[in-house]
Amino acid sequence: MSEKSVAYRAARKARAARELGAWLVMLPGLVLFIFFLWEPLLEAIRLSLYEAKGMTLVRFVGLQNYVEVMRGPDFWPSVINTFKYLFWSLIIGFLLPIAMAIGIHESSWGKGIYRTSFYLPNIVPGLATVFLWRFLYRSDASGGLNMLLSAFGIAPQNWLNSAVTVIPMIVISMTWKGAGSTALLYLAGLQGISPELYEAAIIDGANVRQRIWNITLPQLYNLMRTLLILQVISVFQVLYEPLVMTNGGPNNASISMMQLVYRYAFDKFDYSKASAVSVIVAIALIALTLVYNKVNKEKDM
Amino acid sequence: MKKLLTLVLAVAMCLSAFGALAETTLKLGIYPEDVDTAQIEAHDGMFIPAFEETHPDVTIEKAHYKYSTDTFVPMAEAGTVPTIFESWFTEPTKLISNGFVADITDELAERGWLDKMNPSIRDLLSDENGRVYGVPRDGYALGLMINVEVFEDAGLVDENGIPLYPKTWDELLEVSKKIKEETGSAGLCLLAKDNAGGWHFSNIAWNFGATLQIQDETGKWISNLNSPEAVAAMEFVKTMAQEGILTSDPTSEDWGTGFTQLGTGVAAMYIAANDAVSQPTFNNGLPADKLMMVPIPAGPGGSYSLMGGTPYMFAANATKEEINAALDYLEVMGKAPVLSDTAKAGLEEDARYRKDNGIPVINEFPCWDDDELVQARRDVVAEYANVDPAMFDPYFDAVVEEGNLRMEEPQYAQEMYFELTKVLQAVVTYENADVQDLMDKANANFQAILDEKLGQ
Amino acid sequence: MSKNRAPRQGAVRNYDLRKRGVKIGYALMTLFCIAMALIALMPVIWVILSGFKELKEFNRGIKAADNHYYMHFFPQSFSLEGYLDTWNQMKYTRYYINSFIVVIGSVVCAVVFNGLMAYGLSRLRPRGWKVVYALIMATLMLPATTSVVPLFINITKIGLSGSFVPLWLIMGANAFYVVLFKNFYDAMPNSLLEAARLDGCNNWQLYFRIVLPLSMPINMVIVIYAVNAAWSDFLLPYLLLNNTKLETVMVRMFTYRTSDRVNNMDIIRAIVFAIIPPILLFVAFQRQITENVVSAGIKG
Repeated sequence: MSEKSVAYRAARKARAARELGAWLVMLPGLVLFIFFLWEPLLEAIRLSLYEAKGMTLVRFVGLQNYVEVMRGPDFWPSVINTFKYLFWSLIIGFLLPIAMAIGIHESSWGKGIYRTSFYLPNIVPGLATVFLWRFLYRSDASGGLNMLLSAFGIAPQNWLNSAVTVIPMIVISMTWKGAGSTALLYLAGLQGISPELYEAAIIDGANVRQRIWNITLPQLYNLMRTLLILQVISVFQVLYEPLVMTNGGPNNASISMMQLVYRYAFDKFDYSKASAVSVIVAIALIALTLVYNKVNKEKDM
Repeated sequence: MKKLLTLVLAVAMCLSAFGALAETTLKLGIYPEDVDTAQIEAHDGMFIPAFEETHPDVTIEKAHYKYSTDTFVPMAEAGTVPTIFESWFTEPTKLISNGFVADITDELAERGWLDKMNPSIRDLLSDENGRVYGVPRDGYALGLMINVEVFEDAGLVDENGIPLYPKTWDELLEVSKKIKEETGSAGLCLLAKDNAGGWHFSNIAWNFGATLQIQDETGKWISNLNSPEAVAAMEFVKTMAQEGILTSDPTSEDWGTGFTQLGTGVAAMYIAANDAVSQPTFNNGLPADKLMMVPIPAGPGGSYSLMGGTPYMFAANATKEEINAALDYLEVMGKAPVLSDTAKAGLEEDARYRKDNGIPVINEFPCWDDDELVQARRDVVAEYANVDPAMFDPYFDAVVEEGNLRMEEPQYAQEMYFELTKVLQAVVTYENADVQDLMDKANANFQAILDEKLGQ
Repeated sequence: MSKNRAPRQGAVRNYDLRKRGVKIGYALMTLFCIAMALIALMPVIWVILSGFKELKEFNRGIKAADNHYYMHFFPQSFSLEGYLDTWNQMKYTRYYINSFIVVIGSVVCAVVFNGLMAYGLSRLRPRGWKVVYALIMATLMLPATTSVVPLFINITKIGLSGSFVPLWLIMGANAFYVVLFKNFYDAMPNSLLEAARLDGCNNWQLYFRIVLPLSMPINMVIVIYAVNAAWSDFLLPYLLLNNTKLETVMVRMFTYRTSDRVNNMDIIRAIVFAIIPPILLFVAFQRQITENVVSAGIKG
């Protein structure tokens, strides 16, 4: 045996030991990920292909659950609504945090106050937020928003009882919770912009609007991209807001896809169909992300 | 990793197998919630000691369980459902067909309870072969609850202070307009948020002469939501909405908020059952003597009251011994067709609790045909009476009338209610809602559900 | 907080404000910020004030001479009695204790397990780490609501339902935290680790003696996230802990949806009880949260 191969073997052994050591470090985490996330997800996919009694698989039925789900009276409304949620959350919730961040950044006083108060809703637990807004949106004089209106002599409004406005209203409550923390993310981005960039622009004679347009916003571009996709992913999974506030009404005007999952699983005990819908949601999310990445890459080139 | 998991599983299985070898354990899901101090006292102080005296070999595990659809299946799958638990009137069909509850026909037959069960309630708790899966806690029938204070404020009471309540839907409309004018309160709190909306509506529709499901000569079930009668009932809902006599947004009202609106006088009337009198009073602050119950207003099709019951059901994996222990416990509690000493004491305790907490002490709906038990109940109610019988007589007089009580529509009632609720939502929301068209759609949707579920 | 006028670093400079157009724009922006601050704060103030009201006062208003009822923004009385009643009747002391136990265990698991995982992915990188990392990233995207049922069954099978342990452990498998940790470790200078390795530290010693203490900023961030997440979580806790004596504050609140023993005032006050601890935490660590957490998030 040559010396070289001995050395080689020793090196390989050492390398194997190192690899093993590394995997050992990750082992606790891996076990947890498998147990809590990956295995249950696979289980859910399998379930969607079977007829089941409760969680017990009865027989393999292929895509039949998917077909039946899509034929159900609430599926297409929920798909359309989910995109409506997406649309309104982009309209209401995407630019607002950017404006808030610029507002804090450009203010010469009150920065701390703005920062604290903008962020406060974010620490209100999600479920408490939903309950709270249900009371704010109450349609008689006892609702928080109607109390505000009555101070201006305006009669109580039916906030959630209209197919046209119910989704924007729900999105407003989501934005209330989320906008402040997103604004602070943008603020951190703004603080990372070097003052020299502005100074150079000033020397070039750029006015305020041009400075914001040509320096501030482009510098936030990467951050916007990331936050956009995160927003899409989270809004696509909207569930508890319509569940608690409207139960999907009026007449299915606010039912979301995840709510359909919830309804199949926890009202009707039909886990196969529940899994089928959530697999559809997952596929849609993956597709959206892929398309999005592709578009971005092409743009970058 | 896999080995470890197998090992853990094996150990867990051994442990549970070992548990099964031990004496009978009665996992008591009907043990009261921890905020229910008075009820806990009754169980700890009376029922459990009395039970343990006669059942030294049974261990009682206090495992309060409030049934809810989102927790039940995971528990059933994991085999952790209590031996006995309370469910809802809507659930038996679903629970039975999924195999989540135990068949107790034999145990009931041995005790001679089967024949004592009110036949229509027994139907509700049976599968298509007549096997029985539960026993009733109590029965109920829907009526119209009235907030007497609002009627007083509106000047709608007779010389004895008894509200001049509406006897037909048209009268209800007129009374409500007066109430709105005089007090600003809504006449009726109509539900349109979740299935309870369709549930209430089905009773309204019956009074307009509708039958919502029919079975043709071949045995096929036909959805009948768009009959002229049902459409007329829905048109009437639309009229009520447009006359402004409902609460501001029915689509945000569910079973619980309805009681809040009634109890605090935001609405003067609300469709509800006799087993829920604690809701407007104890929970929502209405004094016991300010609550009245009358029959649901009659319509062109007559006067009906939807009847149901709260069932006790049993875990699918419960053994015969465990089921019998649970049934014995019901006997001790006085929820069985057997009048024990503890049952009598329990009845009194319950009435005293109601009286102390401002809940009307009224008659229960008999779900067992056992004269002795019925009489004992009557005596206790008379002794602890805290309300004027005139406030509840109209209701009780109506429900004993021949043919007044009616069971829920037989097939997939929840799915039907869900479709009806969507129509209700549209009707109370849009001024131009086309009722016929909406009912046609709901009918088509529900027919498709029937066809799929029944494989017809 | 700004004690003095901070030097202007942004797009608008002092001399710009001499221009009328910029001045108006600036005033509008200030108005906008004040409005946003009010919008953010008002609901919280409203719910706290509402909690002082009595049920009828909250739901219908106060009766006036014309038999009609009218709403008032401020409660008739600021007596704490209502809050105390709800607290005692609903036994909130116990739920608070339960929630605190869940939070503490979750925080430990979140820092240690995700940290170790990220340490492996960032520094040790055994063959195949990329697959693991891709799987973790994919989890960020997938809805967890359905898999909650199979998960519940798995947990029950190993006999851990009705216990806090799964709630602690699940925080040790959080894709987002792993990514945050990994980004931080990626930027850590190599020299320190190499020196320790030459001193004969093994992986574990390296992590617990060097990496963990050196990562205080990111640890702090994860702690804050995890506290918030553990305090707010309710679906799995609800399935695992409902009807045991171990319910958390949020589980209790979720059961209010279907409970027939609570009224509106109980729910309003439950909202207040649910937001008090996070608000206290926020007040105490306001600066760290609004500055550090944010800057960490941005890299992630």
